[in-house]
Amino acid sequence: MKSLLGMTAVAVVLSAVAFMLGSYQTDIYRKLLLWTTLALSYNFLFGIAGQVAFSHFTFYGIGAYAILILLFQVGLPLPLAILAGIALCVVLALVVAIPATRLEGFYLALATLAFAQLFIVVLNEGGTVTGAGGGLANYRLPDVFGVRVTGPWYTVVIVVLLLSTFATLWRLDRSWFGRACRAVRDNPEAAQAMGVNVARTKIIAYTITSAMAGVAGMVYAFVDNTVNPPIFGLQNSFLLLFMVIVGGSGRHAGAIIGAALLYLMPFLLSPLIGHHHALVFGVVMVAVVLFQPKGLIGVWDALVARRKLVP
Amino acid sequence: MNDFLELVVGATATGCIYGLVALSYLLITRPTGVINFAVGEWSTLAAFGGFLLLSRLEWPYPLGMLLVVTMLLLIGWLTERFTVRPLVERGAPPLAPILALLGMLVVFREFASLVFGADPQPVPPAFGFGRLELGPVAGSYQSFFIIAVAAAVFAAAWMFFERTLAGKSFEAVAIDRRAAALMGINLRRVTSLAFAASAGVAALAGLLVAPNVSAHYLMGLPLAIQGFTALVIGGVGRVEGALLGGLILAFAEQFTVRYAPVPPGLAMGVPLVLLIVFLLVRPTGLLLPREART
Repeated sequence: MKSLLGMTAVAVVLSAVAFMLGSYQTDIYRKLLLWTTLALSYNFLFGIAGQVAFSHFTFYGIGAYAILILLFQVGLPLPLAILAGIALCVVLALVVAIPATRLEGFYLALATLAFAQLFIVVLNEGGTVTGAGGGLANYRLPDVFGVRVTGPWYTVVIVVLLLSTFATLWRLDRSWFGRACRAVRDNPEAAQAMGVNVARTKIIAYTITSAMAGVAGMVYAFVDNTVNPPIFGLQNSFLLLFMVIVGGSGRHAGAIIGAALLYLMPFLLSPLIGHHHALVFGVVMVAVVLFQPKGLIGVWDALVARRKLVP
Repeated sequence: MNDFLELVVGATATGCIYGLVALSYLLITRPTGVINFAVGEWSTLAAFGGFLLLSRLEWPYPLGMLLVVTMLLLIGWLTERFTVRPLVERGAPPLAPILALLGMLVVFREFASLVFGADPQPVPPAFGFGRLELGPVAGSYQSFFIIAVAAAVFAAAWMFFERTLAGKSFEAVAIDRRAAALMGINLRRVTSLAFAASAGVAALAGLLVAPNVSAHYLMGLPLAIQGFTALVIGGVGRVEGALLGGLILAFAEQFTVRYAPVPPGLAMGVPLVLLIVFLLVRPTGLLLPREART
C-alpha cells in the first residue's frame, strides 16, 4: 500500500513536469525517461542476471519498427499491433537466447553483437518494408478511443511506461526469480546444485528484459515520429552498457543515476568541448571500472555508511 | 578465369588482414582469457600514424612503418599497464578488464576523431598503385605486399610459439595460469608482452588495410568484428587458426558479393551469419588447441 502511494506520487510529479516544459525541453525529457526505462531493464539483464548482451538496444529498435510495420503496413488496430509486437520480440528473444545461453561468458556478447549488426543490415536492405537507409517517417499515433494523445499527454504515457517497467523489475528482483538470477550470475554451478534451472533462468531473464526493451521501442516510435537504422546502431548499445556500469550495475537506483548522468552529460559538455563528449564517456567508464567498480551508487553507499558511523 | 584468379588474390589479401586482426586478439586471449575489442582501434591509430608520417611528412615507407609499429607496441604496453594490470592485481572479476578495454576502445576512437577530424584521410600503399602479373595470377602491388607481410608475421608467430622457450611459456600460461606461475613463469611479463605484441600486429593490419579504406575514426569496429569472426572460425587455440579463419571469412564474403544473387548490402551480413553459426555449432573453432603433453 505504502509503495503504491509512493509510486502514484512519483507518477504525478513526473507527469506534472511534462506540462511545464517547452517543446525542446519536452523532447529531452521524453528521451531521458526512455533511456532510464531502457537502463533499468538492461540493468536487470546485465547487472542482476549477469548476461553481457549487446542486443538490448536492438530489441528497442525491433519494437519500434514492429509497431510501425504492423500498424501501417499490415493494418492491425493499435491494441493488436502492440500485442503482436510484443509476441514478435518474445519469439526473437527466444530464438537468440535458447542457443546463446549454451555459450559461455563473453561469447554471448559476441553472438548478440552479431545479431545487433545483422539487424542493421536487414533494416538497410528491407526495401519498402523498413524504408531502407531512410527509415520510416510521415506517420502519427492512431487515435485511442477517438482521442488523439499528443503533447504532454504522450509524455504521461512514457512516465507510465517507466514506472510500470520499474515496478515489474522491482517485483521480479525481490521474487524467487530475482534471487535465482543473482545466483546464476555469481555461481552457476552452485545455483544448479541448489535446484535452479540455470539455462531456463537465463532464457527467461533475457526474454523478459528484451520484450521490455521492445515495448519501450514501441513508445519511442511516436516520440520523433521517424525511425531509421543509424538510431539503433551499436553506439547506443555501448552507451547503455556504460550507463549501467557508471551508475552501479545490479542496482535499480544505479541504473537511474547512470542513465540520467550519461544522457544529460552531452548537453552540459557540448558548450565546453563540442562533439567530443564521447571521449569523456570513455574516460569516465574506464575510471569507474578501475576505481569504483560498484559505480556511483557505491560512492553514495559509502557516504551513507560513514554518516551512520559518526553519531 | 583471369577474373576469378584476380578475385582469389584480392580475397587472400583481405583474408590476411582479417587473419592479422584475429592474431591480435589471439595473442591476448590465449594467455589471459581477456577479449580486447580495442584491437580495431589500435589499427585505426596505426592507420592515422601512417597518414601522418607517410602522407603528410612523406617519410620513406619502411621507416614510417617501423615507427608506427613501435608506437603501437608502446601503446599496447601502456594499455595493459594502466587499465588491465591494476584490475588483475586487485583480483577483480574476469569481466572487469574486458569492460575497461571497451571503455578504452571509445577513448582511442574519440581521440582519433579529436586529433584528425571526422574525414577519411589517405594513406599510401607500400609500392604505389601498380598491378603485378605473375603468369595468370594478377593483383595490385598492395595485395601481394599484404600477403607477404602476413606470411612473415604468421611464420614468426608460429616459430615463436613452437620453437622458442618464451613461446612455450606463453602456451604454459594459456593451459594453466596457476601451474605456470608455480613453475616460475613471470605472469606479468607474459601479459605485458602479449598486449604489446597484439598492438604491434594490429598496427600492421591497420597500416596495410588503410590504402584501401582510408584512415577513418570509425574504421576500427568493422575490422574488430571481422577479425573476431575469423578468430571464432579458426579457433582461439592455434596461430594457424587465425589465418585459416581470416581466409575462410574473406573468401565467403567476396565470393558472395561477386557470385551470389543477393544485393551487396545483404552480403555485408555474411560475416555476421558465419559468426553466429560458428558460435552455435562449433564454438571451439576449426582447429583445436594442442593437448597438454603429459
